[in-house]
Amino acid sequence: MIRFAEVAVGSGGEVRCSRCHGAQQPVSYRPTAEIAAEIAMACGSWDEPPGPNVALAGTEPFGHPDLPALVGAAIDAHCRRLCLETDAVAMRSSQNAGGSLMAGVHHLRWTILGGTPGVHDVLLGTPGALDLSVEGVRSFRSIAAEESIPVSVTTVVPVCRHNVHDLPAAAGLAVDAGADRVLLRIEDGGLDLTAALPWIVAACDTGVVNGVWVEVEGIPFCLLPGYDLHLSDAVRERAGAKPPICMDCPLDAMCAGALAGASADQLATLSPPSFAERLAVSVLHARETRAE
Amino acid sequence: MATAPLRCAMLALNSPGYRSLALGYLRAYAQADRRLAGRVAFETLDLDTDVDPWWVAWRVLGLEPDVLAVSVTCWNARSVYEVCRIVASVRPECAIVLGGPEVGPIAEDVLSAHPEVGVVVRGEGEITFADLLAELAGSGKAWRVDGITLRHNGEIVGTSDRALVANLDDLPSPYLSGVLTPVDGGAYLETFRGCPHRCAYCFEGKGYGRIRSFSEERIAAEIEFVATAPGVRTFSFIDPVFNLTGERLKTLAGLMAPHVARGVRLHTIEVDIERIDDGAAALLRSAGVVTVETGPQTIGAGALEACHRPFHADRFAAGLAALRRAGISCECDLIVGLPGDDVYDFLAGLRFVLRLDPGKVQSSTLHVLPGTELWERAAELGLEFDHEPSHEVIATPEVSFRDLRRAEVLASSLQAAYRARV
Repeated sequence: MIRFAEVAVGSGGEVRCSRCHGAQQPVSYRPTAEIAAEIAMACGSWDEPPGPNVALAGTEPFGHPDLPALVGAAIDAHCRRLCLETDAVAMRSSQNAGGSLMAGVHHLRWTILGGTPGVHDVLLGTPGALDLSVEGVRSFRSIAAEESIPVSVTTVVPVCRHNVHDLPAAAGLAVDAGADRVLLRIEDGGLDLTAALPWIVAACDTGVVNGVWVEVEGIPFCLLPGYDLHLSDAVRERAGAKPPICMDCPLDAMCAGALAGASADQLATLSPPSFAERLAVSVLHARETRAE
Repeated sequence: MATAPLRCAMLALNSPGYRSLALGYLRAYAQADRRLAGRVAFETLDLDTDVDPWWVAWRVLGLEPDVLAVSVTCWNARSVYEVCRIVASVRPECAIVLGGPEVGPIAEDVLSAHPEVGVVVRGEGEITFADLLAELAGSGKAWRVDGITLRHNGEIVGTSDRALVANLDDLPSPYLSGVLTPVDGGAYLETFRGCPHRCAYCFEGKGYGRIRSFSEERIAAEIEFVATAPGVRTFSFIDPVFNLTGERLKTLAGLMAPHVARGVRLHTIEVDIERIDDGAAALLRSAGVVTVETGPQTIGAGALEACHRPFHADRFAAGLAALRRAGISCECDLIVGLPGDDVYDFLAGLRFVLRLDPGKVQSSTLHVLPGTELWERAAELGLEFDHEPSHEVIATPEVSFRDLRRAEVLASSLQAAYRARV
């Protein structure tokens, strides 16, 4: 419901699974003037309140040689909510955390690959990274509390077959570090959704019982009966609405918002194989398993 | 030989920083009652809800009261009952008298469930409480007092209802009488009793049925007193609709104007936003209003109908826009768990207010309050709620227990994200 315009400060070096994506691409940053112009354009053309809201994303913003100028450009463009998408390691420095807060950065989007060093650090390929990251988020929150600055922290978890079993721990860690929201972003087309489902559900429950909202992106709501509120905003608009991913589903035409009408035979006639089809098979299998 | 006066401890457990206006009225009226002069000694304990009940009891017992009178709301009731149990154990001779919206409408139930409580005052309490004290200090025949429910000869009995105070000016002002000292941000004034709306979930009108106003002279005197009190820069009004009529708003703006010129401001007054245009917003501004609180509570057709709430999205948005043009910040309130609303209706309400960008968005879970229509119709509407205070809804036919809890967490996360701005 509160949308952010994503403005990339550069590329490469994202927090993502090295097993899925291989070696990191080299980091490169865009020129300050170019980013500032994009920020101004995003803010100037903002047409739906509340906003304008900008997230500086793409790669680690604290690596940009001119981050203060980028923040200043957002403020000059009358940005109402400014978010940094970061691994938060730089926030361990009270100067960075305090400086960001005072400058107007009150939203933090913090990416982790798991809730334990054994998953996050290993998948990222950087020993000790998770602890440093958590320390950074805590520093941001603690200075915000001292200064009575309202902030919002979102923990993003890119979900793949290598970390799916660690999702409840990731939600727990996010709670512990002071997140307001956790976003599970399913990005792995080869993920066995049937097997992933219990972990996703457990992560959602872990968040709710601890007062932190967990949102799931990239999964059809038909997979999560009873949990459809956790699906991303576009889906929650109204029961029966479909997320964009449904448009790729071979069952889209016959589906009223759930797979109630589909049979295994119908699925068997579908070709050629696609991610959406695998998804649909997963859904049916999951339903049948539950029914049994 | 003169008898010692009856020691009356008056207790309220308030939100931190606030003082109970209700106790102020009760004490101001009782102190002015000639029957009680020299016969009753009053002591007010205005404490915060976060004080442990055992320490509250410690404070109460330190006063060695003959009567303990407590103002009870759904928010403090659990603590109040615990305090009463402790006080009654240590000082069984102390008469415990409860009043307020949490207990008045369910007086018999309260007395049945809480043997330590002796009397419950029903409805408007000033005259009833003074009459009760007169009986307790004299003949002891409390059963002769109208407007109470009490234990009498081993039974719980209710006396006749008491008529509403015909002329509110007959009630001495808690401020002007010196009973309440205005504190910055925590002082509240009341200009009328009753509410023009009949929302099924709300007890704001307290069943008064009609609106009764204090006189303009009385309101002017209270505003003058509070606005010029040392250290007071902001205060507010508890009126459920500050802009009750255009004429009244104009009067209040005129009374406030000289104080606004000195920098005094009003915070968090409640308005009917759909009746605010640029003219009304300008009057609010000249009354020193910096923040207002309003609905819509819900935008779902089913809940609006079930709760008898009017809602016109365009008029609501126009009112908010007028406030914004006048530089007044708005807090929009929403309730999750109203009958007729499913969880998507609630989310649509959140989306609606967020798109209006009001300044603050606050959602709360329905409390099925004693004395409200929802309390009476809960079974018919299928509302499952906690019968213990604060009577939070557990599940409705439209929203499961788990989805209600999810909606609370989701809304809280959205509110945090909305609040965090440059």
